[in-house]
Amino acid sequence: MLRIILLMIFCLLLAACGKPENIGEINFAIAQAPLNLDPRYATDAASERVNRLIYQPLVDFDAAMQPVYVLATSDTSSSDTLNEKSYRFTLQKSATFHNGKTLTAHDVKATYDSLLSLKDSPHAAEFSNIERIKVEDEHTVLFQLKQPDKHFVAKLILGILPKTLIEKNHDFSHQPVGSGALEFVSWQNKLTLKRTGDNQIISLQEVKDPTVRVLKLLRGEADLIQGDLPPELVKHLQSKPEISVKTSVGANFSYLGLNMQDAILKQQKIRLAIAHAINRQAIIDKVMVKNSRVAAAILPPEHYTNLGVSLFAYDYNPKLAKKLLQDAGIKLPLKLVYKTSTDAQRVRFATILQAQMRPAGIALEIRSLDWGTFFADVKQGNFQLFGLTWVGIKTPEIYSKAFGSDFFPPNGFNRGRYADTELDKLLANEDWPAVTQRIHAQLPYIPLWYEGQFAAMQKNITDYAPKPDGNWDNLTTIIRSDTISNHAN
Amino acid sequence: MFLIKKLSSFATVIFGVLLLTFLLIHLVPGDPVEVMLGESASMADRDTLRADLGLKQPLISQFGRYIAKLAHGDLGSSIHTKTPIIDLIKTRYPATLKLAISSLIIGLVIGIPLGIYAALKANHWQDFVVTMVSVRFSAMPAFWLGPILMLVFAVWLGWLPVSGMESNSSIILPAITLGLGLSAILTRMTRTSLLDVLHDDFIRTARAKGLSEQTVIVRHALRAALLPIITIVGLQMGSLLAGTVITETIFSWDGIGRLLVESIEKRDYPVTQACVLVVALSYVLVNLFTDIIYRFADPRVRVSA
Repeated sequence: MLRIILLMIFCLLLAACGKPENIGEINFAIAQAPLNLDPRYATDAASERVNRLIYQPLVDFDAAMQPVYVLATSDTSSSDTLNEKSYRFTLQKSATFHNGKTLTAHDVKATYDSLLSLKDSPHAAEFSNIERIKVEDEHTVLFQLKQPDKHFVAKLILGILPKTLIEKNHDFSHQPVGSGALEFVSWQNKLTLKRTGDNQIISLQEVKDPTVRVLKLLRGEADLIQGDLPPELVKHLQSKPEISVKTSVGANFSYLGLNMQDAILKQQKIRLAIAHAINRQAIIDKVMVKNSRVAAAILPPEHYTNLGVSLFAYDYNPKLAKKLLQDAGIKLPLKLVYKTSTDAQRVRFATILQAQMRPAGIALEIRSLDWGTFFADVKQGNFQLFGLTWVGIKTPEIYSKAFGSDFFPPNGFNRGRYADTELDKLLANEDWPAVTQRIHAQLPYIPLWYEGQFAAMQKNITDYAPKPDGNWDNLTTIIRSDTISNHAN
Repeated sequence: MFLIKKLSSFATVIFGVLLLTFLLIHLVPGDPVEVMLGESASMADRDTLRADLGLKQPLISQFGRYIAKLAHGDLGSSIHTKTPIIDLIKTRYPATLKLAISSLIIGLVIGIPLGIYAALKANHWQDFVVTMVSVRFSAMPAFWLGPILMLVFAVWLGWLPVSGMESNSSIILPAITLGLGLSAILTRMTRTSLLDVLHDDFIRTARAKGLSEQTVIVRHALRAALLPIITIVGLQMGSLLAGTVITETIFSWDGIGRLLVESIEKRDYPVTQACVLVVALSYVLVNLFTDIIYRFADPRVRVSA
């Protein structure tokens, strides 16, 4: 009996033996699968990253995070702003959807009209200022607003959907049809996309566990992984000759949020003490990937609003921090509760912060909560300190939404309930350099770092590098060298 | 009569689970509107959607509406993915079932023979070795054993895939990860219960009749020792069908356990409710099945019933 069982197991193993057969296809192992491929509903990072590849918006952002035209032509003589209440766009004539239909102004109008009619879309509120959308001709569309909004162009980043399918209530969430560089093929255990230019198949498979993602890459089951790995695993991959690791600077801002309604934390001296109680550079050097950098503001130094603005990074000075606390009349140690998620790297950061703050006289109590509970607490203001990261922020409007006194939840992201009349005036005037400096001095957030980005891939994968905000746009250019030879054959 | 009694208690348990899940979900902070509209929506939009979803009605009406929909087989749709929940269950539950059955087979095939062997060699070195190995297996958590198996059989030897569900061989490593733990429990249980009956009078009688040792063990001793083993198998099968979150996560196995935990993390309440219902149904059905098997395995249960 035992022999028969062993023989069966042996046969099974033999049948399964050998390298995975994924010739031609590029397999990308991702930490979190997209939830919804309808851009009118998608909010999670993975969905937004995939939707950027499947759909094309009217505008996007350049390296300095200035809006640039995508579907609209960049020719200012034909695509222009009439005034701050009317915006006219002339569309590219060559854009076509994956179903072969030409993309016209009717599709743009249908996309935004349908968004506004959805009662359960998280993006509808963003466009509630639109009064009407007029199709002037096949390739010209006019947006008329209720109130002037000089940042309106930067909001038009929603992927355009085909009007005919919108009218048929097509299930874009699971069978997206766009006009982007990658076309949807199927979505079962993995999401399969096809590059329209050369028919390269790219599949995205969710592999939640970081160690398993690394093992899949080493085994050859995955060709590419990006981000979401602890630095020791990145270092392990860097030591492997068959793997190539590429890094780039990051633009996603990590910070400590503070409850400004807390009797202690509303004192600026105490916030300053906390800022000086963190050794950011040591954390970056020891437990973060290469190219991580110390942050001073939400928007990174290369952002156009930061040109000419020089912000210093708060240095690690526990003695000064202790003195500031004593000057504020605090009896040491100052006990503070820090909330974070259960993510292993976040918990690790929390324990390091706890150790670094101790010499400054701050006793940090860590509460690690499941994401749903943690984020609900943050939105409800049920915290003293929390740690989060802003991902993919491009426009300076974030300063209003995160610190404006009219933007306490549920009206915005001012989760710390920070109210500063001086800052409100600067925000109203959109004096971004002054806004940045005021926030830097008043510290409603304690800035931490912009975490560096990295991607690890097989040696035969080329033309792929991680982007500062972690998007996957380079899947439009990625090349697998055996694919080239196959094509050549 | 037996079945009627069991089915009525079955219905009571399921109703209790539905009511408890419904109430617990409504006690958790936050609501579906918050999840759907995010932080930018106006209060007016939130109120409109809340009214549309019937969340402004009294809790009892909401529960009544939920039960009425359920009676029509309507489990609703996921808040995030907009997928009908019935479709999610249809794809996720068979995966869990497949993994549970495979793990159970591995557990039974390894656990029962080893348990019998250990009982027959009680207090000899073979017994100590089997006991020590089974203790080791039961002490190995899935989050450790899974990656070790991957490293050895997938990366070093290249025999099996690391994770995923693409090929037939993908199930081997997750099934072994779960099956080894189960086999350890079954080994110890089989050994203990077999030792209990091996010194009974009916075994001595069977031996005195001149029956072969194999017949005595398999037809007489093992049958008598089977009841506690069936209980353990039933309980373990219930747990396996409830989804084994860690193993499913490590091996990227799209089962019901992973779906349940992800829905809780994302506050996707309709999915959570549906998964809890499916898990409860699985437990109840496995228990019912175990009770039926009892009646076949031991005539005394039939008589007392």
